[in-house]
Amino acid sequence: MKKTIFPIIFILFFLILSSGLYVVNEKEQAVIIQFGKPVGNTIKYAGLHFKLPLIQTVLKFDRRILEWDGAANEIPTKDNKYIFIDAFARWKIIDPLQFYKAAKNEMLAQSRLDDIIDGAVRDEITNRTMNEIIRSTEREMQTTEEEDDDNLTSETSNQSLIRGARLDIIKSIKGKVVGKLSELGLGIELVDIQLKRINYNKQVQSKLFNRMISEQNMIAEKYRGQGQGKKQEIMGMQIQKSKEVRSQAYLESEIIKGEADAEAVRIYANAYNKSPQFYNFKKSLETYRNTLDSTTKIIMSTDGKYFKYLTQ
Amino acid sequence: MAQKIKFGEGEIKIPEINFNKIGRLIFLALAVVLLMGSFYTVGANENGVLTRFGKYSTTTMPGLHFKIPLIDAVEKVKVDYLYTEAFGFRTLKSGVKTKYSTRNYEIESWMLTGDLKIAEVRWVVQYKIKDAANYLFNIKNVRNTIRDVSEATMRIMIGDRSFNEVIKSERSAVSAGARVQMQAILDSYNAGISIQMVQLQGVVPPVTVSDSFNEVNRAKQEQETALNEAKQEYNKIIYNIEGEAERIINEARGYAIDRVNTAKGDVASFEKVLKEYKKAPQITKDRMYLEMMDEVFSRIPNKVLVSSELENFLPMLNVNGGSK
Repeated sequence: MKKTIFPIIFILFFLILSSGLYVVNEKEQAVIIQFGKPVGNTIKYAGLHFKLPLIQTVLKFDRRILEWDGAANEIPTKDNKYIFIDAFARWKIIDPLQFYKAAKNEMLAQSRLDDIIDGAVRDEITNRTMNEIIRSTEREMQTTEEEDDDNLTSETSNQSLIRGARLDIIKSIKGKVVGKLSELGLGIELVDIQLKRINYNKQVQSKLFNRMISEQNMIAEKYRGQGQGKKQEIMGMQIQKSKEVRSQAYLESEIIKGEADAEAVRIYANAYNKSPQFYNFKKSLETYRNTLDSTTKIIMSTDGKYFKYLTQ
Repeated sequence: MAQKIKFGEGEIKIPEINFNKIGRLIFLALAVVLLMGSFYTVGANENGVLTRFGKYSTTTMPGLHFKIPLIDAVEKVKVDYLYTEAFGFRTLKSGVKTKYSTRNYEIESWMLTGDLKIAEVRWVVQYKIKDAANYLFNIKNVRNTIRDVSEATMRIMIGDRSFNEVIKSERSAVSAGARVQMQAILDSYNAGISIQMVQLQGVVPPVTVSDSFNEVNRAKQEQETALNEAKQEYNKIIYNIEGEAERIINEARGYAIDRVNTAKGDVASFEKVLKEYKKAPQITKDRMYLEMMDEVFSRIPNKVLVSSELENFLPMLNVNGGSK
């Protein structure tokens, strides 16, 4: 009997001892609970650890960065625009002991974070204008297309006065949440907070769409109008040009003709001046030849030179 | 010995001998398992993250490696794999002709631009795991974190640009900026992620208003068409008229040449005749006169001759008779 009891005791002892050993991995941190109360320091480093067997239990917490993604909240801005803000945060448990005392578990911690973050976001957004929330720099924007520079320029200059504050807003929300968390002593550290989505509510959105549509229609009409106007302009140019070309041609042709006529006159005058009588005589004969034809009736006196020999 | 007993001699002896046999088998099996558990392979595009009692020990490269069985654990991470996250759409079926679905992702893709309009932005983020240990140990849900960060940074980029800029000129600046900012935020989390690329797949007006944008494009086309038509008409008419002008001028030139040549010809003939005339003026004059009379008189059928010797004679003739 003694022979068998000894190994059994040994095995039992070994089992009890080994139940005091526990592993904390890189993703975890742990708190030792003794009679329902946390004792000792938190175990923040991964590896093999020891606790008192049977009396103490190990409570493990995540050591990694954890998610927080709240629901989108409808919040009015300073300039009275209702927008949905959907923020997300990343946080981690830096003091598991404190965390265990104040928040118990991740689920409860999430709902505490809901209150804190939603509050901070709401406080900040209601104090900011829409433009501050959307824009992040003072960068000048080009709101119209390159071609049209006339009718919407007023809007551009208006926009350029706005100072974007998105990053400041995020920083400020972060500051508020961090402050609140340390005040409450939840053992939580805020790693980051960002505004994931910012949207108009449905009514404003449909109004905006109508505005966008009417603006586009306006631009479309402008193009059409410009097209027609340009067409008219070209047609006018065409008429102007054709008149110009025609009259220029007339002018040139008349000059050419006139010069020729003058030349002809000069040539004739030069030649005929040599003997005006002969010219008269010759021209008269030609004229008689051309004008007296078969329809002419002629009554002649024999007195004429022509019948000189007839009446002899 | 054991084999003999297995054929069955006495029932009392069996448990003792079986215990011995099973113990040996268990030991053998244990040895095999331990041996098997001492080696592991890391694939070509993987890294192995080795933990000893849960504590990070080392990251191993591709190949066959040794570990202490039961005490060491290995998690393999695909470090060279290019992960892709799509925003505003999902790939339904990838392949040569990839199918996409963009429906019902407005919540992701619709965002406010700097001039307070709404643009539909679809984009893709490609990333690699650059540090396997950080990737495993630092963030609870890395994929969700990447998605959240990407949406937030994209909205910052879009929010700082006007609708027109986002749709046209600033696209590359948006994706480059988003990449840098995403990387910065993820590095601040020690995520072990390297953002390879942020690529805008499509930046368009939301469906609700897209018709009006198409209308603008149509109007642009119409403008272009009207302009072309006008230019065409202009060219057609102006070239015609320019030709006509050339014609008029050429005609005038022709007239001029004709006029001058005629004059010169007339004058030449006149001068020739004059020269001869001067040699015998009276004879020539008479001859020319008679020739003319000859020609003219022979042409005229009705001739009345009145002798100069008749006094107070009123010639009677039917004035109209001749013509009929």
